[in-house]
Formats: sequence, C-alpha cells, structure tokens
Amino acid sequence: MKLRRSDQKIQPPPVRSVTKPNLVWPSFLRLFRYSIRPFKATIGAVVLYGGVFTSAVHAQPHVVGYARFHSEKPTKEGGALLFSELACANCHGGSPVKISRKGPNLIDLGQRIERDWLVKFLRKPESGRKGSTMPSMLHGLKDGQIEAVVAFLGKRGKGIKFRTERHANAERGSALYHEKGCVACHAPTVDFKSPHGNGDSFDLALAISHPDLNAKTSLEALGLFLRDPSKYRVDGRMPHIQLNTQEAMDVAAHLMDFQASDPREAVSVKEWPKVGVKLVAEGKALVQKMNCAACHSIPEVTPLDVIPLKSTGLTHCLSSEPQAGTPHYKLTKSQRESLILFLEAQDEIEDKTGHLTLSAMNCYACHDRNGVGGPSPDTNRFFVGNEALGDSGRLPPPLTGIGHKLKRDWLIGALAGEPEKGVRPYLKTQMPAYAAHASTFADWFVKIDQKDGVRTLIDRPDDLEAGRKLLGINGGVNCITCHNWGDQKALGIPALDLSSLNERLQPSWFRSYLLNPAEYRPGTLMPSFWPEGHSSIKDVLEGDSERQIGAIWKFIKNGEGLPEGFANRLGGQFELLPRDRPIIQRTFLEKTGTKAILVGFPGEVHLAFDGDSGFLSMVWRGRFFDAYDTWFTRAAPFGQPLGDEVYEVPKPGTKGRFRGYELDEGGNPTFIVNRGGREFRERFSVAEGQLIREVRWVEGDPPKLRHPKNVLKSEASGENILTYTYFWK
Amino acid sequence: MKILTAVWATIAVITLSVSAEEVTPAYEVFELMSASSPSDSRSKEWQPGDGITMEVSGMAWFKESLAVAIRKGEIWLIDSPLSLDKENITYRKFASGLHEPLGLTADGDDLLVSQRGEITRLKDSKGDGTADAFLTECDGWNVSGNYHAYAYGPERDGANNLWVTLNLGMGALTNNRIGWRGWGGTIGEDGAFQPKSLGMRSPSGMGRDLAGEMFFSDQQGTWIPATPIYHLRPGVFYGNQESVESLKMPGAPFQMASFPKANVPYPEALSSAPRFVPPAVWLPYNKMGRSATDIELIDQDGRFGPFDGQLLVGEFTNSAINRVFLEKVDGEYQGACFPFMRGLPAAVIRLCFSPQGQLFVGMTNRGWSSLGNRSYGLQRLDYSGSTPFAIQEMRAKPDGFELLFTAPIDAATLSDTAFAVSSYTYKYSSAYGSAEILTKQHAVSGLVVADDGKTVRFRVAEMRALFVHELRTSGIQSTSGAKLEYPNAYYTLNRIPK
Repeated sequence: MKLRRSDQKIQPPPVRSVTKPNLVWPSFLRLFRYSIRPFKATIGAVVLYGGVFTSAVHAQPHVVGYARFHSEKPTKEGGALLFSELACANCHGGSPVKISRKGPNLIDLGQRIERDWLVKFLRKPESGRKGSTMPSMLHGLKDGQIEAVVAFLGKRGKGIKFRTERHANAERGSALYHEKGCVACHAPTVDFKSPHGNGDSFDLALAISHPDLNAKTSLEALGLFLRDPSKYRVDGRMPHIQLNTQEAMDVAAHLMDFQASDPREAVSVKEWPKVGVKLVAEGKALVQKMNCAACHSIPEVTPLDVIPLKSTGLTHCLSSEPQAGTPHYKLTKSQRESLILFLEAQDEIEDKTGHLTLSAMNCYACHDRNGVGGPSPDTNRFFVGNEALGDSGRLPPPLTGIGHKLKRDWLIGALAGEPEKGVRPYLKTQMPAYAAHASTFADWFVKIDQKDGVRTLIDRPDDLEAGRKLLGINGGVNCITCHNWGDQKALGIPALDLSSLNERLQPSWFRSYLLNPAEYRPGTLMPSFWPEGHSSIKDVLEGDSERQIGAIWKFIKNGEGLPEGFANRLGGQFELLPRDRPIIQRTFLEKTGTKAILVGFPGEVHLAFDGDSGFLSMVWRGRFFDAYDTWFTRAAPFGQPLGDEVYEVPKPGTKGRFRGYELDEGGNPTFIVNRGGREFRERFSVAEGQLIREVRWVEGDPPKLRHPKNVLKSEASGENILTYTYFWK
Repeated sequence: MKILTAVWATIAVITLSVSAEEVTPAYEVFELMSASSPSDSRSKEWQPGDGITMEVSGMAWFKESLAVAIRKGEIWLIDSPLSLDKENITYRKFASGLHEPLGLTADGDDLLVSQRGEITRLKDSKGDGTADAFLTECDGWNVSGNYHAYAYGPERDGANNLWVTLNLGMGALTNNRIGWRGWGGTIGEDGAFQPKSLGMRSPSGMGRDLAGEMFFSDQQGTWIPATPIYHLRPGVFYGNQESVESLKMPGAPFQMASFPKANVPYPEALSSAPRFVPPAVWLPYNKMGRSATDIELIDQDGRFGPFDGQLLVGEFTNSAINRVFLEKVDGEYQGACFPFMRGLPAAVIRLCFSPQGQLFVGMTNRGWSSLGNRSYGLQRLDYSGSTPFAIQEMRAKPDGFELLFTAPIDAATLSDTAFAVSSYTYKYSSAYGSAEILTKQHAVSGLVVADDGKTVRFRVAEMRALFVHELRTSGIQSTSGAKLEYPNAYYTLNRIPK
C-alpha cells in the first residue's frame, strides 16, 4: 500500500496569541505569511499549523490512520480502525486492534483544566479540539444537568501538587518539539525552518491538532502532563516521550507561547466554583448512566456491561441525530460507510499483519512496516540525526519483521523505552515508552512475524578467528569502517554498535539481513557483501558465505577481543616529534580555529599561526601535538597543544589576508600576510629554547603586533624589520 | 628507495570480457601498493604502501612522475610509475602537513592542491625535490569545522579556468548558510573564490570532456535522488536546496526568483524553477554503484582501447569504475552510462592517465565502506590491445536508440528479446535519495543492424523526455563468440532529438 496524500492542502490555521486569543488572520494574509517565511515572520506570536479551528468544517473525528490509508473510499479495514479509535469497542466489544483506545483519566480536572473550556468541550467536542474523537454526549441534557456532570468531574482525584521549575524556555522547547518527534504527529510551527529544505507548505491531513492550550490548561499543568502523559493517557495514543521535567516545561512554554522565563508568571487554572453535595451526586448518576467509564478511568464510577450490537442495530450511534444518551459522532459519509462495512464483516477481520494496530497507534508516523507508512514527505524533513549515515541516521528504523528480528526481551525493553535498549544514539527522535503495553505488543509482534523454515547459522568452534578477520579491515568485509564496536569508534561513519548485536538480534534474521541488507532496510548505506549469496571474500573460510556469516556471529557472541584493524593508539605513535627540523601541520585547533597552522620546533617551543586572521595565535612549550585526530578521525575534532605551558596571543581587531608560507633551508617558516594592501613577512625560529620572531615589510609604518601573554620578550628594530625574542621566567 | 613487501609482487588480472579463457584480457592490472603491510605511518621507515595510510585523495602527472596526495596530508612523487618491475618504482615525499588534500593539479613547475580552507600552490624553488613554498592560491569560502565540509579541485577546463567545488557540511558544526557551501566556482585573478553555480551536495569529482567542458559528479542523498553527473557551468542550480542561503552573501553571482517544487517527480520539479538543470547522466542507484567520484577523460588515440572521448567515473562503494558516453542534443549534454570494471581492491576515488595512456586508479575506503577488502590501494591499468566486447556508444534517436558495439555482433544472437527498455524518473525531495518512480516498460521494434555489423538501431515506443531509459540486453554475442560482461546501459533522455 502506498502513502496517499490528501488532495487538498489545508491552509495554515489562524494565528494564536496570548494577548489576542483566537486572533483570526484573513486568508490572504496567511498566504502572505507563507511566502515570506524564509525571512522570518515579524509577527510575534507562535503559529502552529494545527492551531485552533473554531469552524465546524472540522467537526468530523480525525483519526490519522484513517486519513492516511482509507480516505479515498470506504473500506471495512478503515471501519475497523474507526471502530477502535472512536472507542466504539469500549461499549460494544469486538475490536481487532490490539491496544484499546481509551479516553484520558478524569482526575484532578479542577487543578488541570479550565472549567469554561471543559464545558465548551463537552457541549461540542470539536470546538475544544479540532478533530476530537470524543463524541458529543450531552445532547438532550438540560443546562443544570451539564453543570452537575462538570461539578462531579471537578471533584475527582486527590489534588495534584505542581512542582514549579525555575525556568521555562520556549525557544529550547521549540527545538525539542521539532526534534524529538512531536512533529511526526503534530504540525510544526510555521516559522520553524526545517533542517532539510525549505518546504513552504505542510499537509495538515495527517497532523493531530492541539486544542487552544491557553484556553484549556495552564503552563504548569501542561508541563506536568508532558512529563508523563501515560499518567493521564493510558492508551498510548499520546505516548510517553521521556522528557525530563525541564524539557517538559520548555515544550509546554513553546506550545503556549510563553515568552517569560519564570513559570510563576504564567496564568494558573482559574479556581472552579464551589458546588453542593447534591449537585455532585446528581452528576455522578449522570456520568454513570452515560457510561463515561467505558472510556475514561473515573474514580467511583464503573463501566457498564458490554452492549451487544445486535441489541442496538446498525444505526443507533451512527444516526446523524442520535437520541439523548447515545454518543453523537459527526462522521463523514465515508467514515459512516466504512463503519457499516466493518460491522457487516466484524467477525472476519483480524489484524494479521499489524497494519490496523500500527495505524491506530500511529507508529506509522515514524516507522515503515512492510513498505507502508513511515514519515510523510512533509514530516520527513523534520527528522534529524547523523546525516553521514544517510536516512538510516535520522529516520527511525522500519518495523518490518520486527518480531522476527529482535529477541523478545530486547523488544519488550525497546517498547518500554528502556534507555539501554536504544542502540541509535544518533537519532534525535525519541522512541516513546509504552511501558504498560510493551509485553502485549512484543508477544504479538513475535506471533505475527513468525517465519517458518528459517535457516540457522553455522556454528563451528574453529571459525572464531575468521570472524575476527571478517569484521575487520585487513582482508575482511570492513564492518568496523562503519560500525562502532563498544567503546571503539568506527573508522568511518559511526553506525550502530556491533559488539552487543547478539543480545538484540535473532541469529536467523542476522543471516538473512547480511545476505541482502536493502531488502530489510531500503535505502540503507550498508553494502551487500554477499550479493546473491556469493561472498566477496574468497580467501576466508574458502569463500563459504554461510560459514563466514556464522563466524562473524560467533566472534560477536564470544565477546572477547577486537576485530582486526583498529589502530593501536597506545605509545603515542601519532605524536609529532620535531627532532631535526620543524614540523608543520595544519589542523582544526581549539581557540585558534579551522585554519590553524602548527609549527613544532626542536627545542620544545611551538606555535600556532592563524591562517584565517593572519596572526600568531598561540605559543606553547613542552610536547608538540598528537596528529591522530587530524590524520585519521573522520569527525575531525578540534585538536589542542600537547604541552601544558600554553601562552595565548590576544586576537587582533582587524584580520590580515593570509597568503601562505615559505620554508628556509632549516625548515623554519616565514608567513606571508597582506594587511591593508601591504605585504608583511613573519619568520619564526627557535634558538636556545627561545622563540625568535622577525617581521619584515617593504615600506611604511611597522605593523601593530600582539604578543603571547605572560611571556618575557626583548625587541630589536632596524629598517623595515622588527625582531622579538620570547623567553620564559 | 627500496620497496619490499612480497604482497606487491603479483600482477592481478581483471578481464573486461568473460568469454573463453584463452582470450587476452583487455586490461591488465598492475598493483603498485596495497594496505597489507604491518608497519605504521609513524615509523621512521614508513613509506607509502606500508601501514594503513596510503589513502589516495588526489593524483596528477607531474613532470616525469606521478604525484599522489593522501588523506593524511602528504604529497608523494612516484618515479618510474610505468615500470613493470616494482624494484624500479621509487617514492619521494614532496610535501606534508596539509589539511585533508582532496585534489591535485599540475601547473607548470608547481602543484596546486586543495586543503580544507584554500587552494595552495606548492613550489620547489630550490629544486631539491621538496616543496619549500606553500602559497595561498585561492580562498574565500567558509570553514566551519564540520568534518564533511570538504573542498575539491582545482580542475582545469578547456578555457584554462580552474574549478573548485565545495561540499555541504553535514552534522555537528555545520554551517551551510554562509560561505558558498554546496557551490562550485573558479579561481579568480586576485585569488578569491568566484562562485558560479550552486545546489551541489558532495561534489567529490571533476573532469573535462574532449571539448574542454567541465563535468562533476555528486552523491545521492538529500535532494539528490540518485548518482548524477552534471555539466559544470556558471549560472545554474543543481537541486540541493541546502546551499541556497549563500545567495544572500555579497558576491552572489545571481539570484533565484524561485526554488523548485519539492515532493514531485523530477521532470515536474525541473520545470518549476528557472536555472534548475538535470544531470547530463544519472547513474541509477545500486545498478551502477552508489557513489561516483573522480571523472577522467579518455583521450588516448586508442592506446586505452576503443572508448576515446568518453569519461571514466570512479565508484566508491562498489570499488569499481564506470564509463559515460555523452552527446549533445539541442546544445545540451546527455548520454548513457555503462559499468567498465569491477572488483578493485578498495573504494575508487581518483583516476589519472599517464601521458602514455596507462590509467592510475587511486583508492581509499576512508570514511565509508566499500566492497573492496583493502583499506587503500594504487593500481595501474594497462590496455593489452585486445578489444573488449562492450556497448561502446548509445545514442538517442527521435524514435529510439542507436547502439555501437566494439566488435561486430553475431546476428543469430539477436533474438526478439535481445533488447528490453524501461524508463523511470525519481522524486525530487529533501529525503535521502529516491526510489525509481513512474516506471514504464516500452515496446521495442524495428531492429536494424548496419553493414559494419556493429551498429544497431531500434525503435522504442513512447519515449519520455527527462526520464532515464534503461536498456537490458540479453544473449548478444560477438561474431567471435564473446558475451557482454556488462549487458545493460542507462540513457538519461533529457531531450528527445528531433
């Protein structure tokens, strides 16, 4: 199945601002905002694509999986998804979706939710949140009865205590919101520049809208919710994304456009009015009668028994004007038809491939499975990580055959969000924690992904050494060029750690994957070293592919020793030792910059010249420089002097233009710098442990030079020449 | 200088045609050095070929020697590199301490070499065989400290312009918003970088054609759906939108009225913005390798086989060399690509002909992996004089294609299914690469073999402009019974000739 996109691009929503709630921009202005986006909008408010819609146009419940896979025509599978996600199954039973849809836990509403918002929401859910899947339940109730329901709900819970952070940084929150994966399900902020490309539209059909959060809740309450959504949202649809308290407050500040930094300045939820015992009791009776507890956990209220569909007929809840006490879903024609198709075939629909459950949980927002789902073209550009690894370095892995790929315990840990089960530190997107559902999910994946007749690995004790060679770079298949090995960094791109692979993977999957990586991970940078089963290495284990793969597994599982080819860095063998002549090495150097030219002299005095500004940058004594990172480390980290006696030279105000250097017979450099149209030549040499600096120019005033701090110097001048000798206390 | 290691003493042979065993291979492979010596680069006795660091990153024929730059930052002069006896091949270190040199060009008595922050002129003014002046020839691009922000070149075109291409940064410390990242340009008279065109991603190889026009290769990745070979010239946009912020810098040579529409098929994206040009040739991903590197023109009057006028293109991941045939249609370059040689010992990154027509192949697996199981290598390909059986040229015609084979074909092997043609394009988007999309099979008809026995015309129904047309041949043999080792070709039909 291919991803289909809504034909209709939804225009950006109205701007929401703190000072002018629900400010609505005329449509032509919104378009204008789009066109000027690259140049940063001048309007102060945070604008979310998925901001509040007050229009009834979006009254229909929005189920992402339905919009993504079933919006073209009614299908029974689409109906099955709606049956689960509109929570029909909570009253009627019989959903093929593995994890039940539930509403939020209705506790502590009085501390967390604005009463006015809740009343509005209960009367008309889509006015509280566009696309809400909550049906209208209160039609036919009198105003007084609604008051009673709200009064009862406001009394549930034990009363939470907010722990106020000292800071909430909306800017940091924006970075987290866009990088952690929130935008896989929710719309990005309009003026956030996506890391990949400057796409200037965003299809809202797959974005779950936010309510007007300033109208609904408070900064503290939202922060608390984001810290651990599973406390209130037990069904995993809004998953636990493992933010710490500070991060949660930052994201809340971003979502509420809270520009002050002290959360104590934020508006709290207004105190709910006092209510009488009688009203609360009346509310409880109504809540019980309407069977709110079928979907919501509410203290003191229990769900009713399952209501067989046979007793209600097909049109009961599906009517466009249902009776009082019956849920009212503002379904589209297609949604209604899908539900009817499902109900007619309810018994025969099972989730054999996982497609329904993954659609329901919106795992597809991040993951592909069997070629279905994964980031949409619009969300794709927000996924970031280590781009050296290609898309594998920034997109979450596919879930194709995941129950066959991972060992059960590892899968449970990964689904529960255990940090040590995350093997892709380079992905910025956070895998949510589904702690309550992890083992159910894992067992089910294992069941549906089971494969018959898989080949196991050849296991021969003698092949251990061959495994070591094959993993390495000397006559092997170069695994460690791209893969980390425990603490040892890969020689090239830093793909995931191989040393613990046997703890994660099923051996049979490992075998199949090595034989054809692209089949399991389309677009992977991993080459096929055994194309069509033929090894590219003929002289190890007689070129026998099966034995070679078995040997690699064996070496990893054995857990002793390193693959062949990691450089031996012990013994300082990459330390540059100027013995007879100066050694010159260009490099990235901390404090000096990206155009540093290091000169190491015999005599243990060394310097760094800045090829960017054209000035002496640093002088040091003792050992010179370890060139390992400059020569071999792919990430090219900035180096630093080895000697511990370092004397910095203050940065100049005006840059010169560096034009190169010349070496004399002894290898001493003369740097050539153009300053203000005049050429200056600066020669450095070392004699008797003292650094000698001679500056020559053709005509005009001498240059203004800066000197290493805390160094003694003597000065001599002649015609168009200045000589400084630096020495030490 | 003595070169020891017995490992070197083998002359490996890779054949271009896998026909009968007694046929002389077209190219003999002579291995100069490989990554299998135990000593390391810090040893006093270290020479290229020892240890792990003879990672070729630039090559140029320099006076009577082969000059080789290596990733570690050194330049070595290899004397008598054409010798058949390794004992005669000697090595001299010419320069050291350079910052990731990735290109090398001779300029009279000097060498020009790229470093991260500049192009440097290396002079040996004393004539003692080592560089004693390292002069800034060209600078002016931003160096943020991101490791991926490489600089390539310079490479000389037919009008004596020296071209430089600048890689985008990727990952930590990236700053592609300033300083011409993802741009190509020339060395100005005052030594300043003259930005000329943009939209590059990882333009690691350049080379000119017979007419002196410059071409460069780029890497599949963000905004680049497959491996492209582009005609390098001023005033155009090659598609990668991560390079566009530099348009706001002083010195931008032009402005772009709009940027191409994303998430649409490539032909549609091409028409959505001015200056946006397609590659002259797409190298379909996996089918032709994964990562094109250096481009080297074959201009050898037959001394390197029958492919004069064509371009060789290094292939990193698959440790291979590909071949590109170009023609001009309506004044624009387009053409076909073919595999040329596979099974090299490491990732091919640089190619360089000797004046006598031998091809040096410089290899290193540095940074990425390849199918080659050595971490580096330097080999020489000598043409044996035995013509390989291959599709030499593939030309577009108004209603089909014309193939030229290197040898007469056996008409009896031309079955109805000898030629199959499909076409496809890619999606233009910020995603990392694209699958082939809108694939279509085409009816092939009207097979005609010319009197020379080597030229074949056929009609292709409903050819599509701006689509890659993939030709799969089967069963074709030469009159002497040779089979095609590489039976497929890929023609990028940007324009259908009238």
